[in-house]
Amino acid sequence: MALRAAAARLASSSLRRRHGHLLPAAASASHTAFLHSHATSFGFKQVREDEKSKLVGNVFSSVASSYDVMNDLMSAGLHRLWKDRLVSGAQSITPYGDSLFLPDSSDFFSRLISKLNPFPGMKHLDVAGGTGDVAFRVVERIKSVSHRATQGTLTDMEEDTHIYVCDINPNMLEVGKKRAAEKGYNEEQCLSWVQGDAEALSFEDGSMDGYTIAFGIRNVTHIEKALSEAYRVLKKGGRFLCLELSHVDVPVFKDIYDIYSFSVIPAVGELVAGDRQSYQYLVESIRRFPKQEKFAQMIQEAGFEAVEYENLVGGVVAIHSGVKL
Amino acid sequence: RTMRRTTALLLRHGGGGIPQALADVLVCPLSKKPLRYCEASGSLVSDAVGMSFPIVDGIPCLLPKDGKLLEDHQRESGHETSSRDSSD
Repeated sequence: MALRAAAARLASSSLRRRHGHLLPAAASASHTAFLHSHATSFGFKQVREDEKSKLVGNVFSSVASSYDVMNDLMSAGLHRLWKDRLVSGAQSITPYGDSLFLPDSSDFFSRLISKLNPFPGMKHLDVAGGTGDVAFRVVERIKSVSHRATQGTLTDMEEDTHIYVCDINPNMLEVGKKRAAEKGYNEEQCLSWVQGDAEALSFEDGSMDGYTIAFGIRNVTHIEKALSEAYRVLKKGGRFLCLELSHVDVPVFKDIYDIYSFSVIPAVGELVAGDRQSYQYLVESIRRFPKQEKFAQMIQEAGFEAVEYENLVGGVVAIHSGVKL
Repeated sequence: RTMRRTTALLLRHGGGGIPQALADVLVCPLSKKPLRYCEASGSLVSDAVGMSFPIVDGIPCLLPKDGKLLEDHQRESGHETSSRDSSD
């Protein structure tokens, strides 16, 4: 009851405060070479393509250090506001009815990892995952898989296991390296950190058994390029997995989600990280990203087969997957 | 396959170069061709495009835009590597 009143208050104020800037692209006057389009989206602003990566870089350098804190806070906040029950291993849900099942971010990653099906000896590439969220989970999963198989003795296969973490932002990579050291992974030497561009990967053709990109692809300037690069580096039979914030079409829930996104998140970003703008960008970039079906189509166009997606939390998050055959 | 092992040898220097796991898979982000480790500069050289990429804090920085054009003396291929190949 109180929640509905609060939501109503937020709704009226958010409509006043929210400004969508759609500046016309600074098109023909410039002599900078563009690729397909003259402009790309940076949240709700239209910017020149060459500017986008710089702007994104600034956003992530800014949020890198408080990234984990913000995520924990936002999911803890979600838990307190919404949740009746913790769901482990998120499934597709519909929020109809009285209760809203809301898994936290670690459940999204768990779901991603179980779809990946990691195995000992695999070469895995995680893109845009500088802080190590996905990489560490892959390592742990492989260790538990091989433990059960070999009763604890280190096999050759396990030693061949290698996870490559590629991120465009060096600050994120530093955070990841530090966390790896704290967890003692550096002893095992199965993690490598590389600064690189998802659109121009520095990995050999057909070198990877798996490719993941979690909460990163919406920041890429040319999504098609990132997808074709993913296809190139994967081996035959290799699996592509993308975890990303996506689109909610469910009535009522969609409106609540919009209010939460545009009013609460930037405000919390201001409070916790001292950076409202970066979180405003975050929220806007989610809305600009292609819808689930469209993105699935793009993945197919890159050459992948058996392309499918799974909505989590009514579409707040989606996992798209495909296989290189 | 022997081509790839040679590439890995060019990158791996038993001490100075980069770990084998990276040497096995890293290529130039622009040409997708093999890279060569330059001991003098501690960087990864792509002869195919005539550029070098730095390694900072053990992290190879392979953004296309951060590649530096090679100086003339860096263009000699195999010069710094040939003497150490046998140690691998």
